[in-house]
Amino acid sequence: MSLSNLIQNWNSFRTRRPYEGQYDDAPYKWAMVIDLDACIGCNACTVACYAENNLPVVGKERFGKGQAMHWIRIERYWGEGDAMTSEFPDHGAQYLPMLCQQCEAAPCEPVCPVGATHHSPDGLNTQVYNRCVGSRYCSANCPYKVRYFNWWNYPDRAWPNPLELQLNPDVTVRSKGVMEKCTFCMQRLRAGMDKAKTEGRILADGEVLTACAQACPTSAITFGNLADKKSKVARMWKNQQVDLAKDSQEKSEEGIRGYRILEELNTYPSIVYLERVRNLEA
Amino acid sequence: MKKSHTLALYADMDEAANALKELKSSGMSGFRMEDVVVKSPIDHPELSELLGPRPVYIQWFTLLGVLLGPTTGLVLIASAQASFIYQVRGGRPVVPLPPDMVLTYELFILSGVLMTVLATFVAMKLPGNRSPLYNASVSEDKIGILVKADPQSIPQINEILGRHKPLEIMGDQAR
Amino acid sequence: MSHSVHSHPQLDVQVERKFIPKQKDLGADVTWAKINKDVLRSLEKPRPVFWVIFFSALALFSFGVYCEVYQYQNGMGVADLNNPQVWGLYIATFIFWIGMGHSGTLLSALLHIIHADWRKPIYRYSEAMTTFTLLTAALFVLVHMGRLWQFYYVVAYPNERWTWPNFTSPLVWDATAIGTYLTSSLLFLYMGMIPDLAICRDNARGARRALYRFLSMGWQGTDRQWANFKVAYMTMACFLMPLAVSVHSIVSTDFAVSQNPGWHVTSFPPYFVLGALYSGCSGIITLFIVLRYVFRFEAYMTQPILNKLIKMTFAIAMVWTYLDLIEYATTWYGSDEVAKADLIYRATGDYALQFWGMIFCAMVMPFTLLIRFVRHNYVVLLIISLILNVGMWLERFQIITPTFAKSHYPWTWTAGWWPSWVQWGIVAGSFGWFTMLFMLYCKIFPSVSMYEVKEMVHEQNMEEKALAAQTDVHEAGLVPEMKGGQA
Repeated sequence: MSLSNLIQNWNSFRTRRPYEGQYDDAPYKWAMVIDLDACIGCNACTVACYAENNLPVVGKERFGKGQAMHWIRIERYWGEGDAMTSEFPDHGAQYLPMLCQQCEAAPCEPVCPVGATHHSPDGLNTQVYNRCVGSRYCSANCPYKVRYFNWWNYPDRAWPNPLELQLNPDVTVRSKGVMEKCTFCMQRLRAGMDKAKTEGRILADGEVLTACAQACPTSAITFGNLADKKSKVARMWKNQQVDLAKDSQEKSEEGIRGYRILEELNTYPSIVYLERVRNLEA
Repeated sequence: MKKSHTLALYADMDEAANALKELKSSGMSGFRMEDVVVKSPIDHPELSELLGPRPVYIQWFTLLGVLLGPTTGLVLIASAQASFIYQVRGGRPVVPLPPDMVLTYELFILSGVLMTVLATFVAMKLPGNRSPLYNASVSEDKIGILVKADPQSIPQINEILGRHKPLEIMGDQAR
Repeated sequence: MSHSVHSHPQLDVQVERKFIPKQKDLGADVTWAKINKDVLRSLEKPRPVFWVIFFSALALFSFGVYCEVYQYQNGMGVADLNNPQVWGLYIATFIFWIGMGHSGTLLSALLHIIHADWRKPIYRYSEAMTTFTLLTAALFVLVHMGRLWQFYYVVAYPNERWTWPNFTSPLVWDATAIGTYLTSSLLFLYMGMIPDLAICRDNARGARRALYRFLSMGWQGTDRQWANFKVAYMTMACFLMPLAVSVHSIVSTDFAVSQNPGWHVTSFPPYFVLGALYSGCSGIITLFIVLRYVFRFEAYMTQPILNKLIKMTFAIAMVWTYLDLIEYATTWYGSDEVAKADLIYRATGDYALQFWGMIFCAMVMPFTLLIRFVRHNYVVLLIISLILNVGMWLERFQIITPTFAKSHYPWTWTAGWWPSWVQWGIVAGSFGWFTMLFMLYCKIFPSVSMYEVKEMVHEQNMEEKALAAQTDVHEAGLVPEMKGGQA
């Protein structure tokens, strides 16, 4: 039976992804746009993520050791050269929210020995906690280093009584020894998609948002369904001339800001960043 | 008819060879050259030649192993990948051939080795091939010639074996 | 030229007659009975030095077990691993141990195929070393796992959920390759040992006799057994050599398949295989000296054999050095700026000491093997062989750590990461575990192959006989007329 399955579906088993028009017939392909010009580095997205996804607060000492669990982190970079004035160094600071890029050709997926991480039909890079054995190869191979490992049994200390009551019941509390990462708030998507399916429709644009997108005070994060051509995210991707299935983007004119991080590694990320516009004279 | 055994021990390879030669040319009845066994601490191709052709069939088992192992292995791996809940990983095909070749190669070696070992034990009739006559000195530095023959031929065989300075002749009818 | 040779047949004979005496691998006093006696003696009541080594190994191992239990209970955090530095010493030492095993196969399989007879007295313990280093390496796979208790997910077994391991993962290739290698080399070791186990059976008493009787499975050294044995042994050798090459190539794909700077290198498989043979060969030299002393194997582990082993080690060291240097050269002249920056970071950054330590220990130190004094002074040689292996361990360390410290994404660049005492404890424990197993093996099983040394002695005697016959013939003045030369 498995052999006949193999023979019957041979062509689909031999397809490489992503390819042009991969999601044309699919109902969903989740994607994001992050406008770095709008990001003020307030960390509201991080806080929202901690609350939504039951992320443990690890404490100062473990944070110092690099064992923090922030699925979305605000990275602060300083400009170089003229952009960095000694009088007002903050002038050169810029922020970059970094979360799992949900790569279409994710480097973390093929290396997992047990298949705990794989691609879902709606274009998400999923992580199955129950299956994970903790070899950490995915993290080693992730160029963005956005996978976080449970070095300790964090629940022991992260939520002292009565704080455990604020845990999100829709999200697993992870135990020691498993890898975890941003899921694009899978629990919200799942609930939304199931509801829409019951009602015989697909989710409308903006009906479900990730916690970070919802919390962002400047609306720097846009989240939506790329398979829906009319959604805001799809239009932004089109306007920014970013093609999901290409590893280098040709822009028709100067000043189009959309780019994907480390695209040259053929990861085909699902997040487009809009470059910051800077007034160098000011 | 029940056969009898006799075992002669030699310290010198040339003497053992001469004894074998004489046994071979004696042409007596009640005994066949196939029933002569040389027991030695190391392999003596020179003595084995005198015993006539004793073919080894291990390589055919090995061939069977190296043909069956990789083919069944590849089919198993590919169908396991196909029957796993449809999972795309890193944009690679669900049944990716180059990585599967790595495992197929390992299974090729493994099945070849296992079949060889299996064949060896079958061919050497191990475990538990307890020959009726054995002397610990053949594992040290002596060469033993074990002959299985009809009981009435044994005295004649013992005489032939005795002509070539054996250290000892053992068996039911030994002196 | 050939014309002139034909016209002067005497000239040819002149050359043929010239005999350069070679140093024999074994002394003339080694007889078959002496081999049995000496090797069986190594299985008897141990000397005090054996217990010293054994119990220090046991102590180290116990400490390693303590560290592992501590880590198991508290989580991997106690190892001070963190987000970019996810692997640390565990994977570095894993590669080190896997590598150590390869030379045993080189000696037992490749040199058997090409009939290099000098391998015979020293291949058995090398093959045992292979088996035990693989067992040690397999420990690190487990130690390194975040959820050790779920290790069986990596094994392909049919289950009701139709879940399988991910066959595209180099870690699964690793597990398969190590499994195959361990099975094959264990069978190879065992099969090669059967005639010797029969010798032990014939000379042992009590419980030991029962053990050897069981293991030798009724081997009596009959001609049919020998004929089958020889074919099977050669067949296995032919499987084992390519297998060994494939195993470390596969281990190198753990790195070469990923896209981190400094790992994504095409020449990694041969580089790893040679590195493996290199560290394995120096490991064999170390054990050569230790066994020679502890078990008094002076008659079998002789200087001519050691010289050949050292020559081989040196040659392998040079090929490894070459492959290492071309790896740097391709990175340096290549267009991958990140990889180049990583290379510069390795040589000048936080781990420069380890990098240059590796260069010194593994690239410069082998040249000391060219000195006659070093080859003949066993204390110095022991130290040098250990230094070579320290170099190879540092090599594995500096493949892994600097790459994590400075990979593609600048925000994760960290400086000065250092493993915790738990990691060091487990690494030390692995050395104890290996030594303990190896010493036990040497007390239970013959660590010198008796029947093969007998073959060696036999061949040496035959050669001498033939030589004596030839000299007699020659002295009788018969040779010049008999032969017209072989041109």
